[in-house]
Amino acid sequence: MLQPLTGKEIQYISDSMTNEDLLMKQCACMATSVGNAGVSQLASRMVMNHQQNYATLLNSLYQHQTMAPSSPQS
Amino acid sequence: MFQQQNQTAMQQTPFPEDAWANTVLCDLKRVVREYATAATESSCPEVRKMFTSLTNSTLQMQGELFNAMQQANMYTEPSPALRQDIQKNIASFQQKQQQTQQFLHQRMSGQAAQPPMQPQAQSQQPYMQPQMHSPQQYVQPQIPQPLQDHQRQHFYS
Repeated sequence: MLQPLTGKEIQYISDSMTNEDLLMKQCACMATSVGNAGVSQLASRMVMNHQQNYATLLNSLYQHQTMAPSSPQS
Repeated sequence: MFQQQNQTAMQQTPFPEDAWANTVLCDLKRVVREYATAATESSCPEVRKMFTSLTNSTLQMQGELFNAMQQANMYTEPSPALRQDIQKNIASFQQKQQQTQQFLHQRMSGQAAQPPMQPQAQSQQPYMQPQMHSPQQYVQPQIPQPLQDHQRQHFYS
């Protein structure tokens, strides 16, 4: 059951999205610069995994958007 | 002038390919810890579930990258621990285990406290012992009941 997000949860989600964004860029660089085929293929797969994780996090923000109060609560 | 030289050096020296893999591996390790922390700090059950799932998926990726790097000789194995170091740890923690069992026995006298398990020498399954937490052996501690006078003396003796 969904509950309104706390400030701490928002902070963790936003930090996590920054991490996922950085990781997908790093994996893209790794995929094109590493000579070993196995590592390079894995890096390409990881780009997609990080994109998926980013989408999951963004989706959780969308889901909680409607139930969030519009003014500060005591 | 110095800046120009620096820029030229940066253009000529590409980021070493091993460094990319190591950078990503380090970041994955950090992100696993952050997801695990986020899961423990979440109050919404759905958010906790999401962070738990992200912890597992990132841990999986970190393991796969580690294996791939090991196969590609990109990872230097740390030297194995010495046998005397392992023995020193066993001796130290066996002693600690006995002390803790004694403490538990005193705190929970009258309730079921398990005697310490003695690991068997020369066993082929080191991860099986001590079997303190196997379902058959482990007894869930109960909330202590008010002590009787004869039990109370036991604490200070």
